[in-house]
Formats: sequence, C-alpha cells, structure tokens
Amino acid sequence: MDPITIISQLVTGLSIASILLLVALGLAIIYGATGVINLAHGEFVMLGAYSAWALQTFFNMSLFESLIFIFIIVALLGWAIERTVIRHLYARPLDTILATWGIGVIAQQAIRLTAGGELRYVEMPKQLADSVLIFGVEISSFRIFVLIFAATLFGLTWYLMYRTTFGIKLRAITQNPEVASSFGINSNRVFGLTFAYGAGLAGLAGALISPLKSVSPEMGTTYVVDAFLIVVLGGVESLMGTVLSAIILGELSSILSFYSNDTIAKALVLLAIVILIRFRPQGLFSSKVRS
Amino acid sequence: MSAVIDEKSKLVINETSKRYSNTKSQIIIYGIVCALIFIVPSFMDNAYLLNKFSTYLIMGMLAMALSLSWGYGGILNLGQAVSFGLGSYCMAMALKLRTVPIHTGAEGLPDFMVWNNVETLPLIWQPFHSLTLAVFLGIAVPVVFAMLVGWFMFKGRITGVYVAIITLAILVVVNLLIIDQQRITGGFNGITDLAQLEVFGFEFDAYSSSAYYLIAIFLTLSLFLALAITKSKTGKILQAVRDHEDRVRYFGYDVSHFQIFVFAVSAGISGLAGMLYTIVMEFASPTFLGVHLSLSIVIWCAVGGRQSLIGAMLGAIFVVGIQGSLSESETFLETWTLVMGFIFVMVVLFLPKGIAGAFESLAARIRQKN
Repeated sequence: MDPITIISQLVTGLSIASILLLVALGLAIIYGATGVINLAHGEFVMLGAYSAWALQTFFNMSLFESLIFIFIIVALLGWAIERTVIRHLYARPLDTILATWGIGVIAQQAIRLTAGGELRYVEMPKQLADSVLIFGVEISSFRIFVLIFAATLFGLTWYLMYRTTFGIKLRAITQNPEVASSFGINSNRVFGLTFAYGAGLAGLAGALISPLKSVSPEMGTTYVVDAFLIVVLGGVESLMGTVLSAIILGELSSILSFYSNDTIAKALVLLAIVILIRFRPQGLFSSKVRS
Repeated sequence: MSAVIDEKSKLVINETSKRYSNTKSQIIIYGIVCALIFIVPSFMDNAYLLNKFSTYLIMGMLAMALSLSWGYGGILNLGQAVSFGLGSYCMAMALKLRTVPIHTGAEGLPDFMVWNNVETLPLIWQPFHSLTLAVFLGIAVPVVFAMLVGWFMFKGRITGVYVAIITLAILVVVNLLIIDQQRITGGFNGITDLAQLEVFGFEFDAYSSSAYYLIAIFLTLSLFLALAITKSKTGKILQAVRDHEDRVRYFGYDVSHFQIFVFAVSAGISGLAGMLYTIVMEFASPTFLGVHLSLSIVIWCAVGGRQSLIGAMLGAIFVVGIQGSLSESETFLETWTLVMGFIFVMVVLFLPKGIAGAFESLAARIRQKN
C-alpha cells in the first residue's frame, strides 16, 4: 500500500469509528449503569433519524437546528419506556433482552404505519456538503464534523459521569445500590434520567447517520449488535474502553475491507470480538466486572 | 408490583415441580395435542392452507427446541436460527441437484452457479448428490456446529448475558458469510426452484397432506424425544444447572458437558425443522438465518412458556398462525405486528413463565381450593 492509501484507509476507519462511538456511547451508559441489555437501542437510533427527516420535511429545519429537538424527543421517549417497562425488570437482566426487543418491534411498526416503510433521505447541511484535502486525501467535511461531534459528545458524557453530582450518584448506585440509597440517593430517578440521556445520545447518532445512509424502519437492527459488541469489548463501566474499542473496530473493518470486501471484513471483526469476549468477558480495558 | 410477581413465581415453581412429577398426565396431554395435529388434514382439503399449517408446525418445532435449551438448560440462545438455516440449506442443496438445469442439462450445474460463472460443482456440494447423506448432514452439521460453539462457550464458563451476545454475533457472522459466498450459496436470493422430495418413489408434494404428515411425524418424534430428555437423569441435572450452576459443580459434575449436550440436541431438532421447512417452502434463503427470525423464536417461546415444551410449541403455532391468517391484508398484518410487540412486552412483565406457566399456576390454585 502506498502512503496515500494507508492514510485514506486510516481516515475511513476513524470515520466508521466515530459513527460506532456515537451509537455505542448511549448503550455503554445504560448497560454500564443499569445492566439492562437494551435491544431497542437501535430503534432509538432509527427514531432519531426519522425525527431528523420529519423536522426537515415538515418544519423545514436544517440538520443543525433540529439536533437539540431530536435529543429531547428521543430522550423523552427513552424516559417514558424506562418508567413504564424497564424499571420492573432490573432484577431480571435476561428478560430485559426480551422486553426491549418487543419495544423495538413496536417502534419499528409504529414508524412503518405512520411514516411508511419506504426509504427516506435526509439532506446534508449545505455548509458541509463539500470535501477537504488532508495529507493529500480527499475527505467529506460532513464526516469530519461527525468525528468532531462524536468526540465532543464523548467529552461531555465523561464530564457528566466523573465531574458532576449526577455522575457521582450514578456511579455510587452502580457500585452498591443499598449503600447509595441509604445515603439518600433516589436510584429510581437517577436510572430514569440515565436511560433518557442514553436514548437521547442514540437519537443524535441516528440524526447524524441519516445524511450518510438511507433511513428505514429496520436501520436500527444493524447497529445494535455492533454497538453491543463494542460496549462489551471495551469493558462495562469503562467509557475510555468504549472509545478505544470503537476505534479498534473502525480501523479493523477499514483495513480488512481493503484486503477482502465489506461483508467478509465485518464477519471477521465480529468473529474476533466473539473470541475476545470468550477469553476476557470483563472487556479489554476494564479491571473489574459488574457482579 | 414486582414483589407480587416474585411471590407468584415462587408459587409457580413449587407447584410446577409437584405437577411435573406427574409424568403420566403429561404424556397424555402431549399425546392429545399430537393427535389433534394429525387429524387436521381430514378437516381441510385446501392445499394452500395445509401448506401454511405445515409451516406453523415447523415454527412450533423450533420454539420447542429452544425451550429445551433455554427453559431447561438456562441457555438463552439468540442464534437458534443458525441450526435451522444450516439444515434448510442442506436440504435445498440436495433438492437443487435433483432438478434438471436449463442451461447445462442433466447432471449439470445449478442455474445460479452458471450465472456466477462457476465452472465445476464446488466440493462442498458433492455429498449432496446422495439424499441419504444430505439428510444426515442436515442434522449432523448443525449438531457439530453447536457442539463446537458450545464447547467454545461453556468450557470457558460463559453464562447468562454473554451467551446471548455471543450466539447473536455468531448468527450475524454465519448470515453474512452465506450472503457473501454467492457462488456457492446463491447469496441474497438463496437457493430456489427446487425439485420435490422423493423417497422410494413416493413424492412429498409441498401442497399436499403427505408433506403435512411428514412434518407432523417428525414434530411428534422430536417432542417426545425432548420430553424423554427432560425426564431423564441428564434432564434433571440440566435443570439443576439452570437454577444453581455452582452447586451442581460442587457435586462433581462437569456442567459444561450437560450444557453442550442440550445445546447440540436443540440444534439437531432445529436442523431437522430447517430441512422440513425447505421441503414445504420449496426454497432456502438467508432470511432463514436472520436476526429477525431468530429473535422471533425467542418471543414465541417466551409467550407460550419457556419451561414447557408443549407451551413453547403451541405458543409458536398460535402466534405464527394468527400472523399467517392476517397476512392476506397488509394493514391487518402491520397492526397485528404492533399489537404482538405490545402483548410480548406485557407477557415478559407480568407472565415471566408465559401462558403455560399462567395455566399451571391457575390449575394449582384451583387444586389448592379443593
């Protein structure tokens, strides 16, 4: 490979990684804090994409303007789902897989019945429709924006978890719910907000993916498996691990797809993760594991 | 609310263990259900409906197989469709080789290979010239694959959520590979335009009662095989593993052997179901190993009752049956899927043991009153 190809593959890898990180970040928080396997996470992504489409089509909003609304819409939905369904299942983590899959089916079907099953397209913001040259490689500005956005959201989330009272409460509950509640922490409220925040992040991910890929009711299913593997690979309760494993995965798929094709690359990456989980279920970058 | 449910489920556990000791009544119930399945064709001469019914039975078989590994062994296999798909592809390859290709004539290449510029029949297709070997492989391939995956997971003491994630990921990998290897598998389109199954000169027409009876026979056989396993010592140990893995280990049992065993048996039944499905559908497609089907199996099983073989089976037959009867009208089907998702969430929340579990606790309460 000549240097230009190497750089271009690396940049493609980073771009894939930033999208994966956006999707996985919300999942990492929800799974890390509550132990809930949220199979509806892909549907939150999908709802975010559809919100972007709806706001653009019916309210003529550009993607930038709509981001904050999308976050609020999907976060509210996530909060409502946590209040009505998820909170009854904290003692039965395996059953959360089933219930959230059911919620995913409902969400997909609700969209199919209202917005229709056909593919939808979201316009890219005009300011970012061009591309820039970096080290002699042409890269779409929007992809760079996604990369920066993902990094910013990660920074915000990290700050929220490790530098605010909310984060301290959440981590206290995760470590020991009984002791935390005896210190007056309302775990119900904290879990509800955590779920809402995670869902909101997924919504933003969907909104940012929407100009790059076509929007369909089934789009979420493809992301949820990848996102889960990233979270588990990175190590539960380790935000840094999530970032690193997203980067590893992104680069790995980009490099492997250079040598074979996208499908084989994806299959090989998944297989590699399965083997890693088998030997390090606690993840690559975490020393302790949720009991 | 959840405390109430916990109390209830404790009651159910006590009552079910009492009830399950009553093997004789269980055999009678299972026998009646199977007999009912066998008399369906005498009331129905509509070939199209009979074909649909056959597919419902196959889904019932799949859910029953999952109930064996999930309800009895505690292994939540989200990749149940892998074994189903492998079985169905084995049968499809055998039946494809029995057609006379238009482009190359008898003994020639399957049509999709000609389109993909394949010159000679790939080695992996060679064994499927023999139907006997194909049927053997249709069960053996899923079983061996499950044993490998099971060995890989259970020797490493992988449990619970991680089993679910690993099996789901493996399902996606196998699905991707089958779609990618278009020259061998037909890719997205799968293997279509198959010959009809013919054994000793007897033809199993997909739209006839013969195919239906074939499926009913294998459904009954596998149901009673599964029942026998749950009643055996192995079955008892498996249930103990499900409830308290560590305690079983303290008794000196190698827990992984039991888990691999039930995982493989469940895969074998699914492989058989896959072969039967190809016979009635007359094609094999990558959707047979899709995430959607695989998770649907889990749903049927949970709705019917994961800890009851017959409950899981009937759950699948009814859910798929309702879906099938509504599929005539697009809007009905769409709404039904929405309702189904809702019912499913409710069942998980309020009936953790499914409808069969609810029936059992109801029966127990009535007995208590008398």
